[in-house]
Amino acid sequence: MKGSSIEIAAQAPESIPEAVCKPSLWVTIKRWLREPLLHFLVIGALLFGIYSWMNRGRMGIEPSKQIAITLDDLRIMDGYFESQWHRPPTPAEFQAMVEDKVREEVLYREGLAMGLDKDDTIVKRRMAQKVQFLAEDVAAAHEPSTAELKAWFDKNQEKFALPSRYSFRHIYFSPDKRGKNAQADAAQALTRITGQPEDSKLAASSGDNFMFQDYYGDRAPSAIAKEFGPQFAVALERLKPGSWQGPVESGYGWHLVFVDTVIPGRIPAFEEMEPDVKTAWLAEQKSTAWQKAYADMRAKYAVLLPAAPSDAAQTPGTPPPPVKKQVPSNSGEAPL
Amino acid sequence: MKRVFCAAFVFSLILVLQIGCNNKRESAKAPESTGGATTQPAETRPAPNPLKNAYFGDLHLHSGYSMDAFAFGTRTTPEDSYKYAMGETVEYMGKPQKRIAPLDFLAVTDHAEYLGVVRDTIDPNGPFAKSEWYSVMTNPDPKVSGVAFKKLIGSLVVNKPLPEFSDPKMLRSTWEKYAAISDKYYKPGKFTTFVGFEWTSAPQFQNLHRCVIFADKGPAMPYTAFDSLDPEDLWRYLEAQRKQGLDVIAVPHNGNVSNGLMFSTRDMSGKPLTRDYAERRMANEPLVEIIQGKGQSDTSPMISPSDEFANFELFTYLIGTDIKAKSSTGSYLRQAYGVGQELQAKLGVNPFKYGIEAGTDFHSGISSTEPSNYAGSHGNQDSDPKTVITATTSVSGEPPTGIGSGGLTGVWAEENTRESIFSALKRKETFGTSGTRIKARMFAGWGYPKDMTKQADWVKAAYAGGVPQGGDLTPQAGGVAPTFVVHAIKDPDSGNLDRVQIIKIATKNGKSKETVYDVVWSGDRKPDAKTGKVPAVGNTVDIKTASYTNSIGAAELIGEWTDPSFDPQAHATYYARVLEIPTPRWSTYWAAKLNLPPNPTVAATVQQRAWTSPIWYTPAQP
Repeated sequence: MKGSSIEIAAQAPESIPEAVCKPSLWVTIKRWLREPLLHFLVIGALLFGIYSWMNRGRMGIEPSKQIAITLDDLRIMDGYFESQWHRPPTPAEFQAMVEDKVREEVLYREGLAMGLDKDDTIVKRRMAQKVQFLAEDVAAAHEPSTAELKAWFDKNQEKFALPSRYSFRHIYFSPDKRGKNAQADAAQALTRITGQPEDSKLAASSGDNFMFQDYYGDRAPSAIAKEFGPQFAVALERLKPGSWQGPVESGYGWHLVFVDTVIPGRIPAFEEMEPDVKTAWLAEQKSTAWQKAYADMRAKYAVLLPAAPSDAAQTPGTPPPPVKKQVPSNSGEAPL
Repeated sequence: MKRVFCAAFVFSLILVLQIGCNNKRESAKAPESTGGATTQPAETRPAPNPLKNAYFGDLHLHSGYSMDAFAFGTRTTPEDSYKYAMGETVEYMGKPQKRIAPLDFLAVTDHAEYLGVVRDTIDPNGPFAKSEWYSVMTNPDPKVSGVAFKKLIGSLVVNKPLPEFSDPKMLRSTWEKYAAISDKYYKPGKFTTFVGFEWTSAPQFQNLHRCVIFADKGPAMPYTAFDSLDPEDLWRYLEAQRKQGLDVIAVPHNGNVSNGLMFSTRDMSGKPLTRDYAERRMANEPLVEIIQGKGQSDTSPMISPSDEFANFELFTYLIGTDIKAKSSTGSYLRQAYGVGQELQAKLGVNPFKYGIEAGTDFHSGISSTEPSNYAGSHGNQDSDPKTVITATTSVSGEPPTGIGSGGLTGVWAEENTRESIFSALKRKETFGTSGTRIKARMFAGWGYPKDMTKQADWVKAAYAGGVPQGGDLTPQAGGVAPTFVVHAIKDPDSGNLDRVQIIKIATKNGKSKETVYDVVWSGDRKPDAKTGKVPAVGNTVDIKTASYTNSIGAAELIGEWTDPSFDPQAHATYYARVLEIPTPRWSTYWAAKLNLPPNPTVAATVQQRAWTSPIWYTPAQP
C-alpha cells in the first residue's frame, strides 16, 4: 500500500505546465521532501507492507493456527524412535509420530484457548516445580575452591562438632523384680551409697543384675541412647561426674549412675572433614539460592485474606463481611 | 486410569546394638581428668565378643536407584540410605528424616533390572528429555507416576525389557558406582554395609523375588529377572560367583504373595523337587525374610486357626494388582517347615530348612521402622498423611495403610564387621523382627543343667552344651527330650515384652502338626486350665493420643523349656516367637497427629514381635 499523498507529491512537478508553475510552490514541495515526518511515514509504510507479506497466512489459515515443525524436530523424533526400536521408522510410523505430535499441539492450544490451564492444580504445581528447579540449578552451577570451603568451615564449625563421650558405671533396679517400687528402691539405695567410690562393693550389691554391662567406657550420647533409650542419654549428659547420682530412668527400668570420665566434644580440623564440608556447603548454597529467589519473587505479591473470625462473630448469623486484609510477604522460608 | 498402589519389591534394613547379653567384660579405665582435655582421642574399636552381641540392620531397602521407587518420586540415593541408617538426617519427599536409634548394618538392594538408569529420565538435557518418560517422571501427580510404575513393572511381568533402559553399558557403569558407595560407608567395628541387589522375578505377578547379599566385594554385574525368571538359574549365577571367590547368599521374600509358588513342591517346569534341588536351594538360600512392609510370611489365621497371634500384618494382594493371592499352600513359612520335613523323609534333604531374617522393602531409601517415626515408604503413593489415613481402598487392593512399618534382621555376631555378620547369616544365628529392636535368643541341648540361666555365664554354658538358633540337634540314644533356653530383651524405646513362645512343627509318617507353647511370660498370669494358653497381657494404648505405658509386661524374659511331647522318631522344627505388649501401629500415630480416627482397614494397636531362626531335630536313620 502506498500513501496517496506521496503519489501526488512525486508527480506534481511533471504534470504542471512551466508557465503556471510558480517558484514558491516548487520550493514548498522540495521542503516537504526533506521533511523527517514524511521519511518516517514512508519507511513505516514499507515495513508494514513487508511484515504483512511475510505473515500473509498459508492456505488461507491465520498465523496463530499454524503448527510449525522444524527439520530438527523431525530428526529428534527419528532419533528417539531408533533408540527405542534399534531401526529407523517406516514412513507410516514416521507419519504417525508426526501426527501424534500434531495432536498434542492441537489439543494443547485448544486447551489454552479454552482457558483450561487456569485453576488447574496439576498445571500450577508443575509450573511452580519448574521455577524451583531453575532457581536451584543456578546455585548448583558453581564449584567451590578449597579456600572458599575453608572459610565457610571456619564460620560453620559447630555443624561438624564431634560429640562428648562418657564413661560410666550404673546400678540397675529392675521393674520385673521390684514392680512399682523400682524407682523408690533406687532412691533409697542412693542415700546408703552417697559418698561411696565408683567400685564400691556396697554400691554394686545394692541393685539387680543387669542384662548387659555394668560399666560402659567412652560412649557418645547417640550410642548410649541406642542401648538405654533416648531419655536415659539426655539425663546422663546432665549428671555431674565423680559421684553416684539418680535415679535415672531407662527403657529397662531405674538406675543409679556414676559418671567417671567425660571427654569433651571437639571441632575437627578442616582437612579431616573436607568432603563433608563440600557436601554441606553445596546443600546450603542450593537452599540459600532457592530461599533468596523465592523471597524476591514473593516480595512482588500481596496476599488478601478474609477478615479474622472475631470480626465475623460480631454479626452472628451472617457470613463474614468481605473485608480484605493484606498479608505482608514472609521471609521466603516456606510458601504460605 | 487404575491407580497402582506401590508395592513392588522389597528390601530390608538392619539395625545394630553394640552390647550383647552377659557381656560384662568391659572394665573401667583409670579415671582421666575431666577438665582441660582439648583433643579427643579417636574412638577405640570394641573388642570382639566370643559370646556374641546382637546387631540390627536391614537387608532389603530400595533407594531412588530402583526404577519403581523413582517412578513414585523417591529421589534418595544409596548414600542417603547409609547415612540415614547411621543416624544422620536425610531428606525424603521434601522433609528431613532421622532415625531415633541408628542401625548397625544395611544392604541397599535396589532392583537389578534397569538399576539407576530410570533416573536419567528427569534430566532436562538427558537422553529422554524429548520423550514421554520425561513428562511422566517429572509429573507430581501420584496417578501419573503410577502409570510409569505400571509400564516398568509390566515389562518385568511379561519379561520384555524396555529397550530404552537396557543398554548394558549404562547398567555396568551404574553398578560400579553403586557397589563403590556400599564400600565407602563400611566402617568396621561401627557400621557394616553389604553390596546387594534384588533379583525381581514375578511371573504373572506371582512373587519369587530374592535379595542377593555379597560377603564383601561385589560382582562385575548383577543378575536380573530379564536374564531368567527361574530361581535355579539365579543359584547358578551365585555358584559361579563363589567359584570366583565372592561368597554370596540369596534371601527370598513375600511368600505371602507368591500365589503358592514360593514353597511349592514342584520346580518352575512343574517337575517334583529332587535331592539335588533341595541341596542347591539350601546352599544358596540359608535365610528367608519373615516380615517386611508388605506383610508377614510366617502364617495366616487360615493356616494356623488356633494361633491367636497369627492375625498380624497380613498383606493379601499380588503386588501391584487387585488380585487376591492364593495362599492355602506354598506361601507361608510355618507350613513350609512341615512340608520341608515331609520332603526330607523322601529326598533325604529338607529344601525349606530356612533361618529367619526380616527387612523393610521400603521404596523410600530410608529404613524408617520406628512406628512413632514412620516416614511413609513408597514416595508419592503414601506421602500425604491425610489421604493415607482416610483411604480405605486403592484400585490395586490394599490401601496405603496396609503397608506395615517393616522389619529388621537381628544377628548374633562377635563384632560389627562384614566377616562376622555375614558368617552369622550363613550359620542362621539370626532373628527377624517386625521393625522393633527386641533381642531374641534360643539355644537347645540334651544335657543342660536345671536352672542353668541363673548362672552368670549361662551363655557360655549354653554354647558348650548345645546349639544356638540355626543349629541342629543330633539324635541321642535313650529317647530323652531336648531342653531349650529362650532369652528376650525388650527394645529400650518400645513396648515391654508380653511372652516368649516356642512354635514346634513335627512331622511323622508324612503328616505335619504345629503346636504353639507359651514358655515364659510377664507378671503372674496363669495358663488357662483347658487350653493351656496364657491369657492376654492387656492393653494400655490410648488410641486418641497414640500413647501407651510400660506398666504391664517385662523388660526381660528368660526361661527354660523341655518339649513335653518329644518323639525321637519324628522330624521337628522349633522356633521362638517373642511378643511385645500392644503399642500403637504407625498408622495410629499418623492419625493422632491429624486428630483423625485411625484407618478402619488396619489394626489400631499391634503386638510387635521377633522370630528366632529354628533349631532342627532329625531322627536317626533306621
